[in-house]
Amino acid sequence: MHTIHVTPTENPSDHPPPTLCGSGVNWLGQFQAMASECDVLIEGLSQKDALVAVKLAAIEVWRIEYKYSRYRSDNIMASINNSQGKTIEVDIETSALLNFSEQCYQLSAGLFDISSGVLRKIWHFDGSDNIPSQTDIQSTLKSIGWSKVQWSSPTLCLKHKMELDLGGIGKEYAVDKVKQSIDLLAASLPSFAFLINFGGDLACSGTRLNGQNWEVAVESIKKSDSVDAKVNLNNGAIATSGDSQRYLEKDGIRYSHILNPKTGMSVANAPRSISVAANTCMQAGMLSTIAMLQGADAEAFLDAQEVQYWIQRK
Amino acid sequence: MQLNTEVRDKTKDKSRFQKISPALAIASIGILGANETLAKDELDRWDFDTAVLLYAEADDRVSAVEPVFSATRAFDNGETLNIKLAYDTLTGASPNGATPSKQKQIFTRPSGKGKSTIASGESPLDDTFKDSRVALALNWTAPINREWEYSTGLYGSKEFDYLSLGGNASIKHYFNQKNSAINFGISFSSDQVEPKGGTPIALAEMAHKSDDDFKDTHKKTREDDSNSKTIQEGMIGLTQVINRQTIMQFNAGFSYTSGYLTDPFKLLSVIGSDKSDSDYGANFQDTNSNNIYLYEARPDSKLRHSFYWQTKYSVSNGDMIDSSYRFMIDDWGINSHTLDFRYRWYFTLNKERDSYLEPHLRYYSQSAADFYQRYIDSDDYQLGDPNFSFASADERLSDMNAVTLGLKYGWRYQEGKEVNIKLEYYSQSHSGKKGIGSLSNQELYPGTKAVMLAIGYSF
Amino acid sequence: MHQKILQIMLIVSFISACSNVGVKPWEKNILARDDMQLIHAPLEAGLDDHIYFSKEASSGGRGFSGGGCGCN
Repeated sequence: MHTIHVTPTENPSDHPPPTLCGSGVNWLGQFQAMASECDVLIEGLSQKDALVAVKLAAIEVWRIEYKYSRYRSDNIMASINNSQGKTIEVDIETSALLNFSEQCYQLSAGLFDISSGVLRKIWHFDGSDNIPSQTDIQSTLKSIGWSKVQWSSPTLCLKHKMELDLGGIGKEYAVDKVKQSIDLLAASLPSFAFLINFGGDLACSGTRLNGQNWEVAVESIKKSDSVDAKVNLNNGAIATSGDSQRYLEKDGIRYSHILNPKTGMSVANAPRSISVAANTCMQAGMLSTIAMLQGADAEAFLDAQEVQYWIQRK
Repeated sequence: MQLNTEVRDKTKDKSRFQKISPALAIASIGILGANETLAKDELDRWDFDTAVLLYAEADDRVSAVEPVFSATRAFDNGETLNIKLAYDTLTGASPNGATPSKQKQIFTRPSGKGKSTIASGESPLDDTFKDSRVALALNWTAPINREWEYSTGLYGSKEFDYLSLGGNASIKHYFNQKNSAINFGISFSSDQVEPKGGTPIALAEMAHKSDDDFKDTHKKTREDDSNSKTIQEGMIGLTQVINRQTIMQFNAGFSYTSGYLTDPFKLLSVIGSDKSDSDYGANFQDTNSNNIYLYEARPDSKLRHSFYWQTKYSVSNGDMIDSSYRFMIDDWGINSHTLDFRYRWYFTLNKERDSYLEPHLRYYSQSAADFYQRYIDSDDYQLGDPNFSFASADERLSDMNAVTLGLKYGWRYQEGKEVNIKLEYYSQSHSGKKGIGSLSNQELYPGTKAVMLAIGYSF
Repeated sequence: MHQKILQIMLIVSFISACSNVGVKPWEKNILARDDMQLIHAPLEAGLDDHIYFSKEASSGGRGFSGGGCGCN
């Protein structure tokens, strides 16, 4: 296994360096980002080229992670969330992400809302029975709602106490961006096949070199099962919205960590996990997120989308 | 009533939800703006390595300059092509095997044209060998499957009077989760020497320029215009990962050379060994009062076995240790031990651990060839009918100890690019039978000292 | 001939002893470093070999003698 050298500029969050293992033309690059194990599988490249592709992937993901993390005080998210009602101008990439978020807000009839992050201040999913009071919820709802945001690319104006959180699309965006970067790299290299898997959000370049599909296992949430479903991926992406074992339980009712931004309440009967296949990871991710928010109607919603999906409820 | 989620009226549900996936698809594709193109042209896929070696011996002996250039290209399926070009030019002189004398000595050049005069007490040196050489090697390695790999190479080198052509092939098998690898290799090469004036007849007396019939006598000492030798080698190697920081290599091999193995430029002095004679310890002379020197003679075959063990160890702080031992034994009676030790100490110049200092220590010792003798006793020479078939005074075949002390500095200023410089001191000492009579006043085994400077650049 | 058989036997006994020694594939990061390759500076090794070949009576061992020259 080869450790890929990265400079501190390339690795601003100080993750362990990416590793590359494999032989001949089959390689697996691995690195950590966005609280997940990120895998890049490559078929058909020499070690030297595979190393370039994996390094490219890692650097790009780390760049996105650093730029849109809500935990930093020196990135664009910090500028946005500390703008205190002032108008700020954002860069092209952030502009595109905000546009996309706005479209998703409209297409989801308000269920997907990147201004809903402040709900984490009152909902603490520690397995206890401390569900927030209606007073707290109503008070917090005053700071939620994309319709309250003044957005007209490239200027953004958030009302005081509002915050934006791109955590809901960050990983899927990283997958799509990395896929695009590797696709561009492919233009100057012999044909090869690759699959990216960032902790359950995947994209692939197409079929494998021998024409067969990539076999992706959708893991069962039940520890007793070995594999729940096997998916054949020959193009596009899969995104997963998952159960993170975070919940609250009171009076026999389980409150999942999926929160409805319009009501501020935990979505009832949300599935434990949803995986959706689509053309791009962001599309798949958005569908799985919105489906989650439908609670009991997740299947019905996804049926209407005419996409392939896998839902686990218990 | 319990709703079975499997049984649903899908058509009814469909109308509740709008199909948003296409719009999402378009939106998500739109977000991916143009990226920088990462061009990777053909030149980027090659790795280049260059170095130049400057070698100089003390006392105006041999000097050499050798630039080398290597290019490696890795291909898509794991194949590797390596091309290596070397040029070296030698100047100076090296011992011709004769002993120093308190009288001046005149040696006929091996070509028959010209002579060289050696002053009293001077070590007899000959500069005939000085030459330039060009060498080209091609090597190809390719995997057969996940566990097997083969390698093959071709080699050629040319000097003014020397041509060498050869090839090798090996096959390697990985096993034990690629912690082990066994390698079988063979090589074959054919060398041809065409010295000016032809090669001398074994143990013939050197003809003296001062003689009237020099041309005839000189011609009589010559045999072929050209002579050749072939070298066949075989080797088994085992590579073994010991633990996360340690890897070892074990090689066992043989080498069989046959053909013309004598050095056509080297001589032996015949020294008077009769204690009762007036020329005891002095150069033995012929009827024309010329010193008798015999052209050397080596056997026409040599079989050698070697055993090699190398260990590489990564110290916990990232420094590296490289150590090896080689044992060699051949049927000329030579056996040798080589111990090599390097320690690479990394430190930071600009970026983390981008520089290193690498001290190097090498110790070598060999036992003399059976037919090595510093000079020939006139009693053994028996006035032209020697009681031996082979003899050589080439110091490289003597009992010898050599030490190399070196220091290398390297700076990896960018990923995949390094410059380095190395300075080494090499000291060789020989021993053998002592001088008799007046010869004991001469320095028969002065040893060799050399300094080497190598500068390298890889990109 | 006997020496050759002894050599082969030594290698074979090494091999059988080595069959379980080693590390897992993901533990090979240190060994994958450039400077941990058995011949990590091939040009330097070639230049050294050439010098010692022309000054001493031994050659090779590490690999093949690598081609001839008139210097020995």
